[in-house]
Amino acid sequence: MIDTVVLDDVTKTFGRHRALSGLTFTTGPGVTGLLGPNGAGKTTLIRLLATVLAADSGSVHLLGRDSVRDRLEIRRRLGYLPQDPGFQRGFTVFEFVDYVAILKEMVNRRARHDEVRRVIGEVGLTDVSGKRIRTLSGGMRRRVGIAQALLGEPELVLLDEPTAGLDPEQRLRFRDLISRIGENRTVLLSTHQTEDVAALCERIVVLRNGASVFSGTPEELRGLAHGQVWVSGERAGMLSWRTAEGMFRNIGSSPPDADLVSPTIEDGYLLLLGDVPSEVPA
Amino acid sequence: MSTAWHIDEDLSRDYTQGRIDAVLASSVEAHLLVCAACRQSLVPAVPRARLDRVWDDIVAVVDAPAPRPLERLLCHMGVREHTARLLGVTPSLRLGWIAASALALLFAVLATGETTRFGMLVFLAVAPTVPVAGVVMAFGRADPAHELALAAPYSIVRLALIRATAVLGVCVALALVTGLALLNDRGALAAWLLPALALTSLTLALSSWFEPLYAGAAISGLWLSGVAGTALQSGDSALFGSAVQLLSLAVAAASSFLIFVRRKEFS
Repeated sequence: MIDTVVLDDVTKTFGRHRALSGLTFTTGPGVTGLLGPNGAGKTTLIRLLATVLAADSGSVHLLGRDSVRDRLEIRRRLGYLPQDPGFQRGFTVFEFVDYVAILKEMVNRRARHDEVRRVIGEVGLTDVSGKRIRTLSGGMRRRVGIAQALLGEPELVLLDEPTAGLDPEQRLRFRDLISRIGENRTVLLSTHQTEDVAALCERIVVLRNGASVFSGTPEELRGLAHGQVWVSGERAGMLSWRTAEGMFRNIGSSPPDADLVSPTIEDGYLLLLGDVPSEVPA
Repeated sequence: MSTAWHIDEDLSRDYTQGRIDAVLASSVEAHLLVCAACRQSLVPAVPRARLDRVWDDIVAVVDAPAPRPLERLLCHMGVREHTARLLGVTPSLRLGWIAASALALLFAVLATGETTRFGMLVFLAVAPTVPVAGVVMAFGRADPAHELALAAPYSIVRLALIRATAVLGVCVALALVTGLALLNDRGALAAWLLPALALTSLTLALSSWFEPLYAGAAISGLWLSGVAGTALQSGDSALFGSAVQLLSLAVAAASSFLIFVRRKEFS
């Protein structure tokens, strides 16, 4: 695997708050999920990878280039969907994507419009390209955001919470779209949704307090909870909830006679972020 | 619908190869509109690539959004189409903002009618802050798509400069119109120009360190305090004498140098 994203001991502080603390990880083509609770540093990391922020210390190499020295070159090969893309008031879908295309240095009107039509088609919005963005549903607006991120066929695509606030049907459509985008690019997907990560990502990086506490495959994350998830007639473990069958699903240090069940990625994630560090493999 | 004649082989070949004159071509096309048999006979003779090209041209024209009035105006003035679009979305070049700026300048000009000395000071103090307000609203967080602009290869300092120039141009035009219509002292009309240039360029330069809104607020606050302080102490419009005009020129030049030196820091 070619490492298209390489971070080494990256630190970023805002005043007294340390958003990223000695963050180190590498990833390559395909979809990589960034998981972590609120305030873990996901958005700061995505903004740093988008070259919007510069690290206080450490090094960031994207697509084989230094993110500070070669930021212009990187920006030409980058697609970025922030949490809030900032749609211009009154713009149609076509106008907004066209505006971003100009910011991406596409100055030839005919070629630019062809590219705008291509990306709008890629996210399935051709029929509404003349509609004002404010009249579209949340899912369609997100697709507009993704369309602008695909302008110029970028090699690195950064998506910050693209499925937040979407209903289940829209999220399934997004999975289809993002998996297609990730077929020939490096995609970094910041999310709270472990189901999206399980369905889409070849690799996962879990952030906590600005540092990486896990980097591996979804199967490896799931494996962290192996032997630590069981069902019982009463509440037990670090975390426990009642299932539809009237039993309790427990996560944590299991008793010897526990009725163990197959863990999920969510179980591994919860254990990783839970208060049972002795049970978490290094 | 029946037709008196049909397109023969020779005419069909000449038409598809573009070898007939416009009048005859129009006649053929009028016939094709009403004759399905001739349309069918013509299909194999029309080059597919040419049809696709023509269709692409039609789609390009139909799909392309019509430029907004401001963009059309800028294009008529010789601004390139993509630059006109970048300017067209500037928050402080929208009609509402321009109207608010015009109103602020109008009140400032009307204030000159109240008292000779302090009224003039109000105009000369307020007028330079109007373009500063417009400039800080032209880029930075005031621009909804600022985050996308930061991650795009288009130079942020270039974006800021073209928008600031446009905003400054609009404000100068507004001040000239209101001033020429209502001001008796035509000298005062020009006196605010250099301070306005100095304040806006200084605001731009400081925006490489701070958020434009904060930079503009600080500069405007300092300017208004300076004008008020001078007016209270000397009781005349000393701030607009030749010394201050020269100082403004120097500040504008130094700010331009700073903008050039720190151009990479804007992004």
